[in-house]
Amino acid sequence: MGRALFTWNGFRRGAREGLPLAASIFAYGLGFGLVAAQAGFGVAKAMATSAAIYSGSAQLAAVNLLQTGEATLLALFATILVINARYLLFGAALQPWLWQAGPLRSYGSLLLLGDANWLLTMRRIAQGEEDRAYLAGTGAPIALGWLAGTALGAAAVSVLPRPEALGFDLMLPCFATAMVAAMARRGVDLVPVAVGAGAALGIAQLLGPAAAVIGAGLAGGAVAALMYRPPA
Amino acid sequence: MTGNFPLLLLVMGAAALLCRIAGFTLMRLVPVSPRLEAALRATPLAVMAAISALAVQAGGLAEGLALTAVVALTKVLGSDVAAAILGVGIVAGLRWAGL
Repeated sequence: MGRALFTWNGFRRGAREGLPLAASIFAYGLGFGLVAAQAGFGVAKAMATSAAIYSGSAQLAAVNLLQTGEATLLALFATILVINARYLLFGAALQPWLWQAGPLRSYGSLLLLGDANWLLTMRRIAQGEEDRAYLAGTGAPIALGWLAGTALGAAAVSVLPRPEALGFDLMLPCFATAMVAAMARRGVDLVPVAVGAGAALGIAQLLGPAAAVIGAGLAGGAVAALMYRPPA
Repeated sequence: MTGNFPLLLLVMGAAALLCRIAGFTLMRLVPVSPRLEAALRATPLAVMAAISALAVQAGGLAEGLALTAVVALTKVLGSDVAAAILGVGIVAGLRWAGL
């Protein structure tokens, strides 16, 4: 354990590739800071929330729940667990690769895990990335962007343009689409793509978008496992 | 708002941390077979397709056109990062045009 490559060089490479996404996460941090300020959070509380939860959708849901005035600790815990359940899948998919860096580096890197840098890192793993510091590298600028955006949003609520006007809300879907187009080179790769998209749309109708993403991931993985044939 | 903010923060942070480490930790107990590896490799493709499909469903024509352009741009430019950034510009333009 602890023998896999984990270098400053890999971290820097990850940070460079995380930078374009950090810009959109910054814009979303502004959005969260704004919502938090309207819910009575000051800059310090908003930033503490962004640092402790570090997940936009979960934080927005938590702030909404707190605003109703009926939030219990259990309800808050359960809300975040449900919305972030996809991270169970993300962590499981990273484990065979990341664990070879040893426990301290693995768990440290997981603190910086988010949707965007999980996608970036899984793409690089598929291309043969050996340096386990890549994951933390992609996470660093994104985390800084999230915190800086939160601070600015909570401090300066009234003068900001809506992130939607600049198209920033579509940054993650754009990246996801581009990565599918780049990664799906063989016809067989299109099976999890089709299963994932179909499952997401179906589940979203029944259970909402949080369940749709994790359901799509599970369905795509299950179909790939069923289709797997050991090399003769 | 509930009065005890540090306690709230602790509970919310614990839930988020649990999600980040539990799947990873459980996988340590599971032997990774080639079949499981194939499933884990397919998972990001399915998740990415889900994110894209949900964005088109939640949005509409502008989002659908922009993401279609992203697929074409990725093939033409050979760079997924450049294609994604152009896609953001395209959707901003289409929305500005009232689509």
